[in-house]
Amino acid sequence: MMVIQTNSLGKRFGDRWAVKDLNLSVEKGQIFGFLGPNGAGKSTTIRMLLRLIRPSTGTFMLLGKSLRDAGQHIYSRVGALVEKPDFYLYMTALKNLKMLGALSGGVDDRRIEEVLDIVHLRDRADENVRNYSHGMRQRLGIAQALLHRPELVILDEPTSGLDPEGIHEIRELIVALAREHEMTILLSSHLLHEIEQVCTHMAIIDNGTLVVQGAVDDLLRKTDFYVTEVSVDNPERAYNHLQTEDWIKDVSLEKDLIKVHLPADKRPALAEFLVRNHFKVFSIIPRTSLEDYYLTLLKTRHG
Amino acid sequence: MVLLLKAWFYEVVKIFNRWRTYIGFVTITILVPIIMYLTHRFGFDVQDQALRSLGDSVVLVGTLVNGFLVSYYLMNVMWVHFPFFIVLVSGDIMAGEGAAGTFRILLTRPISRFQVVTAKFLATFFYTFLIVFFLGVISIGSGMLIVGGGDLLVFDKGILILSQNETLLRFLLAYCLAVVVQMVVASLSFLFSSATSNGIGPIIGTYAVLVVSYILSVIQIDALDVIRPYLFTTYFDVFFAPFASPIPWGEIARKSAVLVAYVVVFYSVSLWIFSRKDITS
Repeated sequence: MMVIQTNSLGKRFGDRWAVKDLNLSVEKGQIFGFLGPNGAGKSTTIRMLLRLIRPSTGTFMLLGKSLRDAGQHIYSRVGALVEKPDFYLYMTALKNLKMLGALSGGVDDRRIEEVLDIVHLRDRADENVRNYSHGMRQRLGIAQALLHRPELVILDEPTSGLDPEGIHEIRELIVALAREHEMTILLSSHLLHEIEQVCTHMAIIDNGTLVVQGAVDDLLRKTDFYVTEVSVDNPERAYNHLQTEDWIKDVSLEKDLIKVHLPADKRPALAEFLVRNHFKVFSIIPRTSLEDYYLTLLKTRHG
Repeated sequence: MVLLLKAWFYEVVKIFNRWRTYIGFVTITILVPIIMYLTHRFGFDVQDQALRSLGDSVVLVGTLVNGFLVSYYLMNVMWVHFPFFIVLVSGDIMAGEGAAGTFRILLTRPISRFQVVTAKFLATFFYTFLIVFFLGVISIGSGMLIVGGGDLLVFDKGILILSQNETLLRFLLAYCLAVVVQMVVASLSFLFSSATSNGIGPIIGTYAVLVVSYILSVIQIDALDVIRPYLFTTYFDVFFAPFASPIPWGEIARKSAVLVAYVVVFYSVSLWIFSRKDITS
């Protein structure tokens, strides 16, 4: 089932299109990473999906239903944390969750305790949110998103402000939500390695338009700008040699390690080239990380 | 409907979890008994003015001043001063959420914007009702305790003397009408609050409109008669109408209807604005 489906979704602020002609597809059970530079339109897209912003063009469906057909009730099956985790600071965490639970169609006290346990805030649930650190508020933000056992969870920068242990816990939680509770997760993040570690699928958005979307593994495997790390006996000489070859897209030298950008099917030719030129090859390792992919993709787009 | 009631309940909880809500209640609790005590201790200048205006035509035995008379005069705060306590809450109820970013957790629930606006509006009404009647109870209660009870003597196209029991009923009607008057102020600041994400703007905006409208309503320039019917402050004196004899029910109904119409218009415009508003904060 398609959990999120946008059809030519767009938003214009004055003369500027924040999001234009966006066609996004997220299927049930996916952990879908939503990537893009600052101002690319990620938050605007998420806000449109959550009715916080009215689209200028296009439509969208959530959990297989359009907003027109399903009405507001569809949001009882959606949980979200949008940007900063802002709460009613003058109320306790427990009171905040009780209120949000009631407005989500009713959540019993046991479930509230359960989500507080998940984010390790049960002991401090009776404190005013005003006294919470940013990390604690972030965790409470995740708790409120999970409160009503949603089928779709939209998380915008969920690990922002957390300590390394907290980041690790949240990433494990996201994976567990998808695997054990069959929730679909839309995860917007700047942290490329986070998307790479956690997400099964992803989309990259730039200047309000969709650049690419698909399974993370497929996108990295099929890319034309695969990075291969090469270790040889004379890296500087090898680097100079490789630079003159036009079948190699790009080459760089970092601490005796040569990074070669070339399609995956050209890798045997690279090995042959190095051997033919009498280099002792210690290793040839395909190393296309999402970071390489993302940065190269955007660099290519921006010329 | 159930969701709307829940939303209303939590809006009331939010209002009474904020310290600014209690400014009005605390001020009334402290100030009104002090005024009553000072009146009891040092007299009330209005007594002398009234006696002077009566001249030699009436002989009064005892004193004109009692808790009801002071409460009656205290109702004048409803024009400009008391609305401050109203706008402190109503001006912030929408804008405060925008400024704090809490609309992001509220509006992503299965609740419509109509329900959010209506719940907040009803909570504003509830607060307005409470604080107006709180003033009434403290004013009349402390007046009777400190200054004493008795008949109320008011000057309305002559002298009107109302018995204590009748006075209480007329105060009840007067405070009900005062709620309507204060709801106009509340709904105006609610409108401003819906259009902005700054809690101070609606308070200043409402006061600017209120003061200008009040000045235009009371200033004695004939040329202003053209615009007076369109100023809501022109109808604010409705809460004094129950102290006339006979009670001008027609006038009360007409003025109340105009004020309620203002409330409905301000609420509708608030709803229209907020339903189209992009939550970007």
